[in-house]
Amino acid sequence: MTVLVFVEHAAGEPDELSLQALAFALDFAGGNGVDAVLIGGADAASDLPVGTAHVAELDGGYAPQAWARAIAQLEPSVLVAAGSERGNEVLAHAAVMTGGALAANCVAAAPGDPAEVTRMRWGGSLLEEARIHGPVKLMTVAPHAVAPATAAGDPAVAPFTPELRDEDLVARVVERVDTSTGGLSLAEAPVVVSGGRGVGSPEGFAPLEELAGMLGGVVGCSRAVTMAGWRSHTDQVGQTGTKISPELYIPCGISGATQHMAGCKGAKKLLAINSDPEAPIMATADYAVIGDVAEIVPAITAELRRVSG
Amino acid sequence: MIAALALTVAVAVAVFLFARRVWLLARLLRMGHAPGIARDDRVPERLRQEVVVVLGQRKLLERLVPGLMHAFIFWAFIVLFPAIPIAMIAIVDADAAPHWGWYEALANVFCVLALIGVATAFYIRKVVRPRRFEGSHLGEADLILAWIASIVTTLLLYHGTESQVWAWAHVLLILGFLVYLPYSKHLHIATAAVNVYFGRTRARGRLEPLRFDDPDVPEEEMRFGIGTVEDLTWKQMMDAMSCTECGRCQDACPAYATGKTLSPKLVIMGVRDHLFAEGPKALAAETYEGPAVAESGQLEEMVWDCVTCGACVQACPVNIEQIDHILDLRRHLVMVESRFPSEAEPMLRDVERQANPWGKPQAERAAWTEGLDVRVLEPGDPVPEYLYWVGCAASFDERARETARSTAKLLTAAGVDFAILGALEACTGDPARRMGNEFVFQAYAEQNVATLGEAGVTKIVASCPHCFNTLAHEYPDFGGSYEVVHHTELLASLVREGRLSPTASEEQITYHDSCYLARHNDVRAQPRELAAAVGQPVEMERREERTFCCGAGGAHMWMEERGGAINEERVREAAETGASTLAVACPFCTVMLDDGVKSSGRDLRVVDVATLLAESID
Amino acid sequence: MDVLVCVKRVPLTGGKMVLTADERGIETRHLGFTVSPHEECGVEEAVRLVEAHGGSVTVVTLGPPEAEEQLRDALAIGADRAILLETDGSDWDPESTAAALADVIAADAPDLVIFGNESADAGGYQVGIRVAHALGRPCVTGLKALAVEDGQLRGEQESGSARDVYRVPLPAVVTVKEGINLPRYPSVPAKLRARRKPVERREPERRDARLELVRLVVPEGRGRQAEVLGEGPSAAPAVVELFQRLGVA
Repeated sequence: MTVLVFVEHAAGEPDELSLQALAFALDFAGGNGVDAVLIGGADAASDLPVGTAHVAELDGGYAPQAWARAIAQLEPSVLVAAGSERGNEVLAHAAVMTGGALAANCVAAAPGDPAEVTRMRWGGSLLEEARIHGPVKLMTVAPHAVAPATAAGDPAVAPFTPELRDEDLVARVVERVDTSTGGLSLAEAPVVVSGGRGVGSPEGFAPLEELAGMLGGVVGCSRAVTMAGWRSHTDQVGQTGTKISPELYIPCGISGATQHMAGCKGAKKLLAINSDPEAPIMATADYAVIGDVAEIVPAITAELRRVSG
Repeated sequence: MIAALALTVAVAVAVFLFARRVWLLARLLRMGHAPGIARDDRVPERLRQEVVVVLGQRKLLERLVPGLMHAFIFWAFIVLFPAIPIAMIAIVDADAAPHWGWYEALANVFCVLALIGVATAFYIRKVVRPRRFEGSHLGEADLILAWIASIVTTLLLYHGTESQVWAWAHVLLILGFLVYLPYSKHLHIATAAVNVYFGRTRARGRLEPLRFDDPDVPEEEMRFGIGTVEDLTWKQMMDAMSCTECGRCQDACPAYATGKTLSPKLVIMGVRDHLFAEGPKALAAETYEGPAVAESGQLEEMVWDCVTCGACVQACPVNIEQIDHILDLRRHLVMVESRFPSEAEPMLRDVERQANPWGKPQAERAAWTEGLDVRVLEPGDPVPEYLYWVGCAASFDERARETARSTAKLLTAAGVDFAILGALEACTGDPARRMGNEFVFQAYAEQNVATLGEAGVTKIVASCPHCFNTLAHEYPDFGGSYEVVHHTELLASLVREGRLSPTASEEQITYHDSCYLARHNDVRAQPRELAAAVGQPVEMERREERTFCCGAGGAHMWMEERGGAINEERVREAAETGASTLAVACPFCTVMLDDGVKSSGRDLRVVDVATLLAESID
Repeated sequence: MDVLVCVKRVPLTGGKMVLTADERGIETRHLGFTVSPHEECGVEEAVRLVEAHGGSVTVVTLGPPEAEEQLRDALAIGADRAILLETDGSDWDPESTAAALADVIAADAPDLVIFGNESADAGGYQVGIRVAHALGRPCVTGLKALAVEDGQLRGEQESGSARDVYRVPLPAVVTVKEGINLPRYPSVPAKLRARRKPVERREPERRDARLELVRLVVPEGRGRQAEVLGEGPSAAPAVVELFQRLGVA
């Protein structure tokens, strides 16, 4: 059994999520060999910890079906990729081409026939234990489920030219439009620092802005703040505002009414800063600091500055 | 002879012009929809209303000076009626006219009273200039007042001089008035008494249901609130024809008071203007496709400011039911146009799909009972004496949960046999209904009535005045009739019976009346009994049936507030009493006023009376 | 143009998930149901396309008899007809699902087939692509914008801070993501009309699952009460340490 890993890459480096998939594949393969397949990018393949790094010579931009065709031509029995947008898409095409079964967003797997996998449902709120039957088994690996492969290897780099069919290039990227506005959006920000009534005034948001800036995040607010006219409705986190899903959410002086909590239930971690230890938000928060927001937030930014030198 | 001929012609012309207009108004009223608005019951009660509100001028006299001013003119209008035929006889034959000294003396007194009334009215309008007249037709009012003054003055002059000239003048002024009347806001002389008769006699908080399941009504003719003029009910038309633009509703309106677009007066005026502009076209057209009533003036913007507190309906001297207009306009905007403040859409979707307005999992409905001994009713269980209807707010909102916990503790302590429905309790549908989605509301009404029926429930105690209102007064329309009490009513009776024995502290407590308790449902004494049992009550100026909304009603818990903050205005009033505790009896008041206390930086504790009682007993 | 949209009935789970006794499904006794979010946008997009270009919208689902509710939701948004591939409500693997759908779609031959990028519950990321292959049509996934111009479909896919643009000829298959539009709030007259529209019922044939669900597991959640890092400004070092641990500073 050879396990083949589809490695995505950019700027001559393999993607972080693909290295996670590679680690997953190495673990799954046990002592057996692991090969990689890349679409272009021989540079990115040069020190992957695999036996052979197949590099498909393909012109043009992203064409999911053509990429899948190239990979399928290697006739893998186990194919692994990152649970990225492209990883999931290319493997779905490859599953059809190889006649295999695909389990998306796996967090663990054990080889065998059938192979046993644990995969994410409901965006990770639920796990599914499943079996993959049949001669060809495909898996994508849930982002951040395993640590990336760090060991360097010396693979045999094997370029090949895939035989494509006409229909493989019908759906391909023909143009790329830059849409960046410069700023981070509330919905996408990895860190959100929100202020509620406890902040006291529109001016009271300045320390929050500073903290958010230092953490690469943005500022949000509660409904009461919008109603007070302190900030625009576009900043509002909550049921009638924006629903967020940052890595870390820091509600400051927000008591945690249901209205608000409905907007931040997607947050991975929640650090509440509040003067009231009995505030409802404490029941949902992972971490808490008790006290006055106006004192605590500047102290945190000062400490951050001190630590980062 | 010539005089008789001239009088006959004058009367004929006046009556013709009057009748022509009245005929139009009658045809409009006949066009008016009457979905379920049966107001032909309870005749004795309606007659009593007529005596108290019309003849007795009770609502007007709540403001003494303007009330007396109007009463003088109104009573003069009645007393002076016989003077019209007398003057007419005098025109034809001066000698034939009766000269009852007692009547002339009485009439003269009322003429003077009417003149005092007119003078007072001018004083109020020109000197005092209260805000309630903002937006009213002031010139028209001046003309009518002058006209009334002229009518009584000519009568006085006739009585003084016995001259036919003054009789002529009096009669011509009256005939002119008759013609002008149905074209003006003074139409209320004819319509107000009728409108009062057909006013609500039962629960004021109840909304008239729409019918979606009537097999006799094809969908094209189904009414989804007020779209075009053809969708107005006859009562809404009658309301529009009865409005005198006095502005008492505007004065009482918390939305207007905090600088929002809404004025209940302008809503009724907008409906009236639209009715008179589009109504005749609708009557003439084979198939009418006119503009929406909501497009009249700023109606569409205004209807979303309403908190359905009912202060306007309460204040109206001619029993106009402003909430029905606003809700029917909302209904059409929501159910047909899908046009409403977008921030309320999650609430509507969450109520529809998840049975509560915050989209919380139903399975967690009874989570607040953790650590308490509360029976959750399972199918087949024995029926408790009281079903405790917790409501979505007290089930899911952390601040409101305390009320449910306190109530449950107290009921347990007093040995009351009660249980809750847990996950089988669904939203009553009230937020969706007040937002205008009658369809979603009715689905929940049917579901909850079925659930309560299966459980064999007959008595309900509700924590939320909105649930209370819906269960008690709106579910009967869907086949569910229960004995419903608010938790303050039940707790007050338990205290009276000695089953709960609180001790009064020195704490000064001011109690805020919830609109849906105090105004819509007349529950005012019991929460005060509880406040008095646990502390030292102090009253706010706007209280009991004249309470001032917290700002959450009419689905405003889920809408952004435009203009000033209603809750802060109320908190200011509460703080001025010097009380340290602001007692409430509604989960929405709890949240809104607590927010108001925090945003205005006051030092007040906002707490449900049930919690105060529980603390006093612990 | 004729557009066909495939939707899935999913429960509204809120916070905590509770499993059924056999651990093969979640306890939905007190839960509401909805069309999986991406697909809800798919229905809206289909209705908009037909409003702009004419044609009809057909909505298809594979699910239990109760999934009729979700088909009616789609009819209320503006779909013209609905097909229910009725199952006993148990989990169907992506291959079986795709095969059953492809049979129906092939017979219908719509110009455009719209799927959600992935379902909210199973998240298999493949049914749309499998169907595209079965039909022999091009497939573009994860669209955040979609337009039909001169018989060609132009789709935009988000890729970091840029958008990748695809142009494919019709007929085609696409999958869309939430955010492509804001689904309308259906009117009550439309809901009443939807109640009267017919729903065609078919009984699809189930194959042996090659991705076989064994059991579901609820992952260990976080504790209910917050860990207090400290009181007042003196808590700052503990907070910064937390930031470093979480990798945000």
